Amino acid sequence: MTDEPPATFADLTESDVRSALEAEDYVAEDEIVTTLLLALRLGKPLLIEGEPGAGKTELAKVLASSLGSELMRLQCYEGLTAEHALYEWNYTKQLLAVQSGDDPESSVFAEEYLLERPLLRALRSDDDRPPVLLIDEVDRADDEFEALLLEVLSDFQVSVPELGTISADRPPIVIVTSNQTRALSDALKRRCLYLYVEPPSLEKETAILRRKVPQLDDTVAADLCAIAARLREEPLRKPPGAAETIDWARAIASLRDDGDGALEPKTIRNTLGCLLKAGEDVKRVDDALMTELLEAAERAGGEA
Amino acid sequence: MSDRGDDAGADVHDHVRTELVRFVRELRRSGAAVPANAGTTAARSIAEIGLEDRSRVRTALRASLLTDSGDFEVFDRLFEIFWRRLTAGSQDGRPSAPIDDGLEPALDSPDAPDPDDNGENASGDPEDGDRVTGRSLAESFAAAVSDAAEVGGSGAATALYSPSGSAETVDGRLPTDSSGLATPFRDLTRALGQLQGRRFQSGTDRADIRRALRASVSTGGTVLSVPKRDRRRTAVRAVLLVDVSRSVLDTVDRGFLIEFLRRARRDWRDARVFFFDEALREVTDSLDAESATTAFEALEAAEAAWGGGTRIGRSFEQLRETAPETVDRRTVVFVVSDGLERGDIDVLERGLSWIDRRAERVLWLNPLATAPSYEPTARGMATAVPYLDGLFPFAGPDDVAELARQLRQHGASRRIGYEFDARSNRQTTTRTTNQP
Repeated sequence: MTDEPPATFADLTESDVRSALEAEDYVAEDEIVTTLLLALRLGKPLLIEGEPGAGKTELAKVLASSLGSELMRLQCYEGLTAEHALYEWNYTKQLLAVQSGDDPESSVFAEEYLLERPLLRALRSDDDRPPVLLIDEVDRADDEFEALLLEVLSDFQVSVPELGTISADRPPIVIVTSNQTRALSDALKRRCLYLYVEPPSLEKETAILRRKVPQLDDTVAADLCAIAARLREEPLRKPPGAAETIDWARAIASLRDDGDGALEPKTIRNTLGCLLKAGEDVKRVDDALMTELLEAAERAGGEA
Repeated sequence: MSDRGDDAGADVHDHVRTELVRFVRELRRSGAAVPANAGTTAARSIAEIGLEDRSRVRTALRASLLTDSGDFEVFDRLFEIFWRRLTAGSQDGRPSAPIDDGLEPALDSPDAPDPDDNGENASGDPEDGDRVTGRSLAESFAAAVSDAAEVGGSGAATALYSPSGSAETVDGRLPTDSSGLATPFRDLTRALGQLQGRRFQSGTDRADIRRALRASVSTGGTVLSVPKRDRRRTAVRAVLLVDVSRSVLDTVDRGFLIEFLRRARRDWRDARVFFFDEALREVTDSLDAESATTAFEALEAAEAAWGGGTRIGRSFEQLRETAPETVDRRTVVFVVSDGLERGDIDVLERGLSWIDRRAERVLWLNPLATAPSYEPTARGMATAVPYLDGLFPFAGPDDVAELARQLRQHGASRRIGYEFDARSNRQTTTRTTNQP
């Protein structure tokens, strides 16, 4: 896929996308592959929703690296404004220009005084491949900020009052992610294709671990996934996502140098910090629950 | 892939287009949020993806038409029909009758979060009329008895139904003096709104360098005045979940409760009110009514229809299923309930942990917590406490004033709750009662 820069994605097929994701060790169901392909071919932004740790951000990263494009990331937060997301005037430079008074005819609101922020930079990128623009956790930003995105998402352009409209020669591939901590506006949703990433099933999570933590042997990986799945059934403050399971598997793998033997309850308890991120949640894992966790692991082992 | 076209849907066969339009219309009718331009996007998607593979078409349409994971279920149901008609090439005009029947309730009131809930309501209310009053008395008696039996003997029972029981307030008239709540409620609003946001606006707090520089460009680089800015205050957004089971209605002054809810609706930026006992339903609109009487009627109706036990956990679960967007990280969730859970404790725990994860804070207002010796020993209440930001008594304006005081003084940093009530020396009381 990285052999030649595709002018458009018209010739892209599903198997291209699938193999590209696989090459980057991203385990994706058919649904993800098809939706991603559609987003590329229709040239529409893709809105990805799902639980934290389900691999939303990762999908954008993987897409960028497999296309060989630059990843431009805009991390959203409460209070994010146009100056941080779109563009900003270089006031210091303007000030100096005005004070030196070199050329009274020239305006200080010109290209050379414009500072690009991620959204504008993505539109003006002159790479031979369209960049991947990741607008991460858009639900963290204020409602008002969404309105800023609308022009970028629908027309791939930004209007700067003093300069005019700047539009993209080659529209970036836009991925918008949301953790669903609040409802997004219909206007934003209307402009995007929608993908809901399910929390990984036991089989998928095992497959992910096999890819991401190859040094861990398969039975232990299956055990870990079963334990994580069992934990998610508890009313936790913060249920572990797939990302946490990967961290945990890496931790276990690094502790098990010898690489054999079954999982010890002691090891599990000592490494719980990789999986559970709230004091109450860690306390919840008492001996009774630990027994249940081990039983779940055993069942998974029996089935495997 | 050979049938891909540049023009939107140009290559899509007429039949497909007709079915697609019908599918989109049916989706909308069943309450799914389908954007106006989604039909075109869907047509383009089909043109790109082809019609050979059922699951790919399903994925493509789902990505193009839907904007909310909550609509998946409806989508899957209607997609089956769409696909059958598409592949059969049937042109039999009207969509089959059962779909229409099933969708009718949702059509009647698009605002209702759950068609089922709505249907239940509709079928329960009109036909009953007289019968309901007769039944609800018997029922409430039964409920009261079983409530007592459930908690019975544990010593908690005495605390639960103790001094403030004020059973004489059961008749449904407004208190003559509702102004008593005005000041405490204003304080509460102020305390809740005090949490500062991160977003800046013009203000008096700090210098806004950027604006100063920008303004100075027009004066040749001389800064004449320094504009100021400060953090914007977050407006109060709240969800109020009110237990209207008999045990609560007997304890709390209904006039006070309704007044509280109506003020919340009026004064706060956004407040949604749900009543629950065995099930949950939204009553936000009836509280907006001109008179408090209308609101009362809603409360009365709620009690007449159910008025039995409480399934707090199941009601929370219902909230999660039907209206998850009501609780987000900017909302303060108020639960008005005595915590006498008659359902499964695990369900309650799960429901609360979800609310706790999502909401900015969770405050539990318990009409029974007014007694100085109150301890949250009831099964449901004891389970709930770890997930709460504070448990407060809720019987009159004084309690609201105390809630506001604690929020104002310690809200952000310290623990708050009935234990720290300034009006009584609770901490001493607690300690002495704990000693045998």
